[in-house]
Amino acid sequence: MYIYLPIAEVSLHIAVVIGLGGGVGFLSGLFGVGGGFLMTPLLIFLGVPSAVAVATEANQIVASSVSGVLAHWRRGNVDFKMGGVLLAGGVFGSSVGVFLFALLQKIGQIDLVIKLSYVVFLGIIGALMLMESVRAILRARQPGAKRGKLHQHNFLHGLPFKMRFRKSKLYISALLPFTLAAFVGILSAIMGVGGGFILVPAMIYILGMPTAVVVGTSLFQIIFVTANVTILQSVQTQTVDFLLAGLLLLGAVIGAQFGSRVGALLRGEQLRGLLALMVLAVSLKLAFDLIIMPSDIFSVEILK
Amino acid sequence: MSSSRLLSAFSACLMLCGFAFSNAAAQDNTLIADISQDDVAITTTFHGTSLLLFGAVSGEAGDEIAIIISGPEGRIATRRKEKIGGIWINRDAVIWKNAPSYYQIFLTGSFDNLADNQTKERLEIGYKNLPLRYETSSLPKDEINELWRDALARTMRQENLWQTHEDAVTLMSDALFRVNVPLPKNIRPGDYDVRVLHFRDGQLLAENENNITVAKRGIGALIYRFAHDYSIFYGIFAVLFAVASGWLAAVAFRRV
Repeated sequence: MYIYLPIAEVSLHIAVVIGLGGGVGFLSGLFGVGGGFLMTPLLIFLGVPSAVAVATEANQIVASSVSGVLAHWRRGNVDFKMGGVLLAGGVFGSSVGVFLFALLQKIGQIDLVIKLSYVVFLGIIGALMLMESVRAILRARQPGAKRGKLHQHNFLHGLPFKMRFRKSKLYISALLPFTLAAFVGILSAIMGVGGGFILVPAMIYILGMPTAVVVGTSLFQIIFVTANVTILQSVQTQTVDFLLAGLLLLGAVIGAQFGSRVGALLRGEQLRGLLALMVLAVSLKLAFDLIIMPSDIFSVEILK
Repeated sequence: MSSSRLLSAFSACLMLCGFAFSNAAAQDNTLIADISQDDVAITTTFHGTSLLLFGAVSGEAGDEIAIIISGPEGRIATRRKEKIGGIWINRDAVIWKNAPSYYQIFLTGSFDNLADNQTKERLEIGYKNLPLRYETSSLPKDEINELWRDALARTMRQENLWQTHEDAVTLMSDALFRVNVPLPKNIRPGDYDVRVLHFRDGQLLAENENNITVAKRGIGALIYRFAHDYSIFYGIFAVLFAVASGWLAAVAFRRV
């Protein structure tokens, strides 16, 4: 059965939409990531206009982050103070991002910027993750390796507006998480992702937060950033497809349950290695699309 | 509604047919045409559809029928990519101000043999003769009217939105004609003009005009209106719905 999506204005088979939600949901449950970085390019590939894909995916990530944060909250793994600073930065950044998005759309460069952002950021993160997990797998084979310090002190710790984050065992400038979240917020609005894949490593390596509270805190702030993107895109571009988000959600909720069960059977560094390969594959595919000559150098777009 | 419409249109056809045969020598230029459905609903299960356009004409052997259906006009952008720094980037663009988002020609014969170019130009038949206007551009005028107009037609054809169907209209006994009109799944809602033209030896004998309305209906239309008319509430509603379903999912699967 085909379903005509009222905002995207395309007709897709309902099994494809729910199956896509389920597949990406499975992977996100397996790896513990949001999955926006897979869902958005796949939606665009299926013919959903990029603006609709990005805005709708933001709406769906609200739901999956709420669902994910509850478990972390129950275990007390959310640093609300840090989350608050991050979400202030994230809301600011994503508002800028939505504005930039509309501007780029107007000048016809949004597809290019979306693809380039994917190539660059997925490429970097994927490569770093792959190196890290290969190192971890090798290290696991030679026991007795030394453990490093909790985190390194550098010039970033000398910035003003210092705040104490008890749960994260940190005393750092609030400017640091704010700026970081603002940057990720811009990317989140443009790429149609939650941004966890950048924020989580940044919180560990740049802010020096303990790993236990990182995922919960990141999910907490992603809820607000993607909610902000959903509302701003609704007002500015009317590109949030409620029906599409609902169907993807339906598949994703079920897929994530299976994914997390399978994930429990695999080892952490192996999982991260697989995730890294997947992230790199998406990045390479999009890089390839930009490099090869298109079948027609002209393209058409019916404007609203 | 459509079946009774069809019936009455068919009986009109038959009457006219009889009339046409009895007055074959009298050279009257009667032309009537109708469509199986003049109101197409885009519902949530819409996946493209097709309509039957039919009619009758007082014709002779060798006559040609041209049917032109042209959809809602609006702004359409054509963009050209260039390789810059190793990647393909949109560079120049032409924004057409009044291009139809759907433009299909159905013919009994071939487009070239229908009429001479002046006639086609006067009657605005074919994409080259559409009175297109474009937003101010630094590109040369000739290039826009040739290269860019061709590019518009080519890319719209790939979307199944602009097409010329030769040998598509069947004309029976030089009097009854019919054609299947595809409405692809990506058509825009709006008003569509249907022109039926009767040609003999390259000259227009008669012309008939009709309309089709394509509109979103049902839940989909409701969501669309909500999103456009009350966009802030739509956004808030979408967020609340996502929060509720995320919470529900977490609770439902907690102990499974």
